[in-house]
Amino acid sequence: MKQYTTGACAFAVLLAALGADAAVADPLCKKEDIRFVNSMREIAQPYHADLDKGGRLFVQSVGLSDKQYVLQLNQSDSDKQVSLIRAVLATNPGCTVFNVEPNNLPEVRLIVQTANQTGAWVVTHWSHPDGFYPYQGNDHWIAHIGVNSLDAGVSVSKALVKAMGGQGGIVVLDGILENKPAQLRFAGLQKVLAENPNVKLLDRQTANWDRSQAFPIVQAWLSKYRDQIKGIWAANDDMALGAIEALRAQGLAGKIPVVGVDGIPEAIQAVKKGEMVATVSSDAYYQGSIGLAMGYCVLTGQTPLPAKWTKEHRNFNLRLITITADNVDKYLNPPPASAYAGDWACDKLWSRDTGPAD
Amino acid sequence: MAKTNPKLGDAADPLLLGRGSVHGARLKSVLKRDVREWAPVLALAVLWVGFSLADARFADPTNIRTLASQAAVPLILATGLTFIVVQGSIDLSIEGVMAACSLCFALLVRNNRSGFDLGYAAIAASMVLGAGFGAVNGLLVVGLRVPSFMATLGMWSITSGVAMLISAGEPPQIKDMALRTWALGDSFGVPRLTIVAAVFLAVGYVLQTYKRFGRYSYVIGGSEEIARLSGIAVDRFKVLAFAFGALSAGLAAALESARLGLGHVEIGANQMFLTVTAVVIGGTSLIGGSGGVIHSAIGVLILTELSSGMIYVGVSPYMQTAVRGAIILLAVTAATWRLRKRLRVIK
Repeated sequence: MKQYTTGACAFAVLLAALGADAAVADPLCKKEDIRFVNSMREIAQPYHADLDKGGRLFVQSVGLSDKQYVLQLNQSDSDKQVSLIRAVLATNPGCTVFNVEPNNLPEVRLIVQTANQTGAWVVTHWSHPDGFYPYQGNDHWIAHIGVNSLDAGVSVSKALVKAMGGQGGIVVLDGILENKPAQLRFAGLQKVLAENPNVKLLDRQTANWDRSQAFPIVQAWLSKYRDQIKGIWAANDDMALGAIEALRAQGLAGKIPVVGVDGIPEAIQAVKKGEMVATVSSDAYYQGSIGLAMGYCVLTGQTPLPAKWTKEHRNFNLRLITITADNVDKYLNPPPASAYAGDWACDKLWSRDTGPAD
Repeated sequence: MAKTNPKLGDAADPLLLGRGSVHGARLKSVLKRDVREWAPVLALAVLWVGFSLADARFADPTNIRTLASQAAVPLILATGLTFIVVQGSIDLSIEGVMAACSLCFALLVRNNRSGFDLGYAAIAASMVLGAGFGAVNGLLVVGLRVPSFMATLGMWSITSGVAMLISAGEPPQIKDMALRTWALGDSFGVPRLTIVAAVFLAVGYVLQTYKRFGRYSYVIGGSEEIARLSGIAVDRFKVLAFAFGALSAGLAAALESARLGLGHVEIGANQMFLTVTAVVIGGTSLIGGSGGVIHSAIGVLILTELSSGMIYVGVSPYMQTAVRGAIILLAVTAATWRLRKRLRVIK
């Protein structure tokens, strides 16, 4: 009797052990055959540089060689983004994972179609065309990870208004006017302005996400509005930093609150110095790596196929991090790979899900 | 035969030779020529009056100072480009050269990535590097006979690539606060960078009027074959022109980097189009042989006034690019109207 029970127990333990090691699904590719591709606009800006670093950090963390990692830059050319993706799919499409920052909305459709046709795997970020979803039969479109740019705009705008004491004039530096994040972030500002009638929008110009273009615009504003400007709102950190230099030329750096979006290291330093009031980060290291992690988990069979995922797991907004003087110390240094282990684990891929994306 | 206009000091347009053969027509053509020479200055004045009427603050000393500050970098670039355009060539590599020089400059002064701390000497280094790139442009054009359009287009990509490699996603931040304060501040009430630009313009004027390089550039632009047949060292002056043009880009990049506080791959963004436009609007024909640095300076002032004025007046950002484009089209058409029948190719 005792022997039988012991044997049964041993057998049960063995089964459990096997079960824990066994893949949830059949692996589709060998680890060494997987090709990880990060497709983004450019690499000059720190945000994009961090996307790339995040991707490389992930590939190293699973013990694979940098040779399996490919970086594609389209320099704001939508056609180029699509053709670069197609070009690399000439070989080994079934084991290629794309982590895509789409240059603009229309090519998301083309990229997903390419994935469906060739058997490659895609994770997209930021925005996708309305009414077009991964769970509508796009089985190779693993997931879309959106950023609620409206919330991002709202959170930095609130910080700016608070730093201004709820009154005064502000000037606004827009991003590229056609980009959806630019429009949504500004909409967030408008929402906050509606609740704060004593804050007046003096003027609004586009600096196209670039600090060299922001500098002369802010110079002109300081000349025109002088003391009326009590705060500067920029749709991204690079423009905010350009604005700060224009303030510095007048000895006003740190005296007029400035906000931006992206959470690049330089902006975080500016928050620490008191020259910026707030920035909000979608966490470029996360964005640059999570798509590759998802692809890796699906291809090695550690996560079920996307067709079996819930709708929200395939189309969610990630958690934003608002960085102000209160929490800036946590973000002063670049993160180690261990900080993301929790996000990359194949059973926890959706740990930053804060709700379905549009 | 070629009449030098004493007011602007630039050589007259040799293409006018032969037009004044009939006496009555000669007076008319002289008047016409003077009006054409003065048209850019007129445009400058009209814009000034227009924007000042729209918003009185436009004419305040504070805004004049801002305009002066904004015009500094374009002035330097336009001075450099003028010689190339006068010779009948073009340089499309400005933005790339600026990018590469900006990165090198930022790494040579006290920064957060490398150990150098050269201070003002780094500005000279940036100019030398720029001149080097320019010399490559020149050698491609005279040695390999690549049209300047193609050669400089290629160099734009190469230098941009070099800049991106050096930047490696971590733009070097300039920590030399003395240098930064120098670049951001004023001397005698005038922005320092504008003073540098004015000095550079003066150097350009001296080169253009009193040096063989300048004077022969007009001949080369008028007709390269004639210049060669006259025994002018065309190839040497062409290389010099490209070197000088890129040297000005190196200087501009160093100053702009000192102002912004970092080595930036996008530091030259839009500058190429704006510089060429300024040169053309000012009265230097893209075909070559006419115009000069003072012309280009006026062109720069017109464009600076326009950009700043549109912000003052509150022209919607959606409209600004369209307005700028329309004005440029008008100006270029007006400038090249009498040459429209001649088929010329930019060399």
